[in-house]
Amino acid sequence: MEVRHESIICPGCGCLCDDLDIRLEDDRIVEVGNVCLWGVSRFFHAKKFHPKKERHRLQEPQVRHQGRRSTVSYEAALAAAAEALSRAQRPLIYGLTNSGSWAQEAALRLARSLGARLEPSDLAYKAPYYQSLQRHGVIWAPLEIIRDEADAVLFWGANPIHSAPRHVVRHAVFARGRFTERGLEDRQVAAVDIYKTELAKFCPLFVKIQPGQELDLIKGVAAALTEKAASNPPVKGTRRLAQFLSKATCGVIFCGRGVSYGPALEWFEHLARLLDFLNGQARFFLFPLSGEFNSTGLYHLLLNEVGQAGAPDFGGAEVAAHFTPVDFREVDAVLVTGADLLWFLPEEQVEDLKQRQVPIVVLSPFANRTTGQAAVILPTALAGIEAKEVAYRMDGLPMVLKQVTPSNLPGDHQVLADLERLIKTQD
Amino acid sequence: MRLKIAEGRLYDPACHWDGEAGDLYIEAGRLVAPLPEVDQVIEARGQVVTPAGLDLRGQVATFGLDFRRLNGGPSLAEVGENYALLGYTHVHEPFLTAWTAGYVQRQLAALPVVDTSASLVVNLRELDLYLGSPEHGEEVGQTLRFLLEATRSLNFRVVEPFVQYRQDFYAHRIIKTEKVLGILTDLARRLDLPLALEASPEVLRAHLPEPAAFHLAGLGPGLADEGLVEAALAQLEAGASADLGLMLPSPGARKPPLPVKIDLGWFNPLDLNPQGDEAVGRRALALALCCQGGQVAFSGANAAQAPVAEYPRLFSWLWDHAARRQDWQDDLGARRYSLSEWIWATRTLPALASGCNTWAAAAPCSRRGKSWWITFAW
Repeated sequence: MEVRHESIICPGCGCLCDDLDIRLEDDRIVEVGNVCLWGVSRFFHAKKFHPKKERHRLQEPQVRHQGRRSTVSYEAALAAAAEALSRAQRPLIYGLTNSGSWAQEAALRLARSLGARLEPSDLAYKAPYYQSLQRHGVIWAPLEIIRDEADAVLFWGANPIHSAPRHVVRHAVFARGRFTERGLEDRQVAAVDIYKTELAKFCPLFVKIQPGQELDLIKGVAAALTEKAASNPPVKGTRRLAQFLSKATCGVIFCGRGVSYGPALEWFEHLARLLDFLNGQARFFLFPLSGEFNSTGLYHLLLNEVGQAGAPDFGGAEVAAHFTPVDFREVDAVLVTGADLLWFLPEEQVEDLKQRQVPIVVLSPFANRTTGQAAVILPTALAGIEAKEVAYRMDGLPMVLKQVTPSNLPGDHQVLADLERLIKTQD
Repeated sequence: MRLKIAEGRLYDPACHWDGEAGDLYIEAGRLVAPLPEVDQVIEARGQVVTPAGLDLRGQVATFGLDFRRLNGGPSLAEVGENYALLGYTHVHEPFLTAWTAGYVQRQLAALPVVDTSASLVVNLRELDLYLGSPEHGEEVGQTLRFLLEATRSLNFRVVEPFVQYRQDFYAHRIIKTEKVLGILTDLARRLDLPLALEASPEVLRAHLPEPAAFHLAGLGPGLADEGLVEAALAQLEAGASADLGLMLPSPGARKPPLPVKIDLGWFNPLDLNPQGDEAVGRRALALALCCQGGQVAFSGANAAQAPVAEYPRLFSWLWDHAARRQDWQDDLGARRYSLSEWIWATRTLPALASGCNTWAAAAPCSRRGKSWWITFAW
């Protein structure tokens, strides 16, 4: 039987595009309209940017015993996960930026009951951003307002073509807004990066810098705008970037993960100061570009529940919030959901986890590098496709993701809730 | 559940109860005629029994309020508990827009204990071409009714009663405040709803064609000079209803607060952390003392200048000279609210202004639809 769904929300990235049209035959997705390659990777279980290479879907819970992995029942896998986590002195719940809000809420409850640390996978990038807001305040706008009004768009260390592909057509570069009716012709677009990215094809101003020049560039721009002498020799492109920013009547700076590879805290600090200055002349917004589909939802939850946009640690008498990534040498059990931990970890840390035989419990719909090393694997339904969920778009507006196709697998919020219940009964 | 509140001193200006001893019977969350049998009796001898409070201007779920939590501030759970401890059962969020409705409703749903509702802020700029032509009045009314339903809001609010553009290209579409107020009067008649109009100096100075069609929301921050107190009193005398928008005193020398400004597509961004002005706060309180028993309901200015945890302090200014002297170094005259007047301002009027009545404590707009009567020692 053929079924069509219109205006479905895509859980591919932080854009949460709400204009996807889907055709199903016998509950199998056969066609998706208006979707980008990230969306394809979710709806068709394909590798990102390789729509014809299939991603291995996990179907059965598995437990590793004496180096060999065996398929077990859901209850047995849950019991093994509960045992590994409750035995740990310093458990860690990691990831969650690619999980729905219900799963994030369940993970926070689990972290509280375990006395664990909860670590967003993009902490190194987002925590310095929120710390700069703490010191300098915030000027914010929904993406629709940015689409309608921003006439200067700067991508700094961000490549939306890779992190949020349709962002450039729906919200920023080519999008036609109320006061930007001609799209790109009504906007100035610029980018700063250490590589020449795809943005160079449509950004008249592309400032390519060397790694380590980020701070000098931003200080140089600030000096040029305030007509003060810069302390260091200017980075190539400083003056043009300053001119670009000074001409804007409404501007937005989208920063990406690239900024976290350098001294992110100092960079955000200088950028926030620059924004303070620019906001004295025109409206300017500083906007972190989220590749993960619900990273904003996680920080929103942490702000609401813990009052801090850092990694909360429930291990002590009082809840401590950390703003720097966890030292994995201190961790003796990890639960990973909504992220591929081992993909991002440096090789020596991966080796350390292996050597110390730190049990890794993974909740994931797909096989990935982390599931390859996991002690317990709990397969989950795809949030927003096979299970209903809530997610926050990158500007902080929540959206309800529908279930479009049924699944025998439980949603990750369900697994986390079951795990918490089991751990409580064991106590 | 059948409940009896026995022998309390009953106060409800809407029913002309002014401290008479009596029993109240509640069944299924509603006040009912005396019941022959009850499941529970609450002994309230010597205690005051009043309807529950309703905050007309409880800024608890505005889009962007999370950013204020970066520098401390209560969580939603604490806010809900604070309201409950103060005897409030209903909170009305003033700033919901068509874009942010999902966020606001989700936050309101997460607020524990209390019932909630919200005002839909109408951005006149989005309707400007239609506002100018009377033949489109019906279409505008229908559009707004649709939006009210789609966003699950209780009523309409206008923050900027003018149409203005930053872009010179749209200069021909500007509509001045005086003309907009005329259009809004017509719209209020069409919608059969009083429009909440955020009190600003321009609004207070303007001539309202039909004052009874408007509720002047948050008078306090709009009282930029002494003359505006008189102007506000004149508007109230002419028939407008209002809420106070009281605020905590803030010493002038204090460092300006960090900006938390949200651009919601209005001409000016919504400031969630405005800088306090002691003179403005004093004027708001002086106005409150002039309006006891009148058409002015109690409210705080906003989450930054009048957090709910500080409401007891704001209440105390209304009836206690010593509290006023302590906070304002002045007792601002001899006037003070009686208990009945305070109940009128915090319970009866807010309920009437939001289209509810005190008997049902906001039942028409509530999620939980409970009527709570609060007993406390006075």
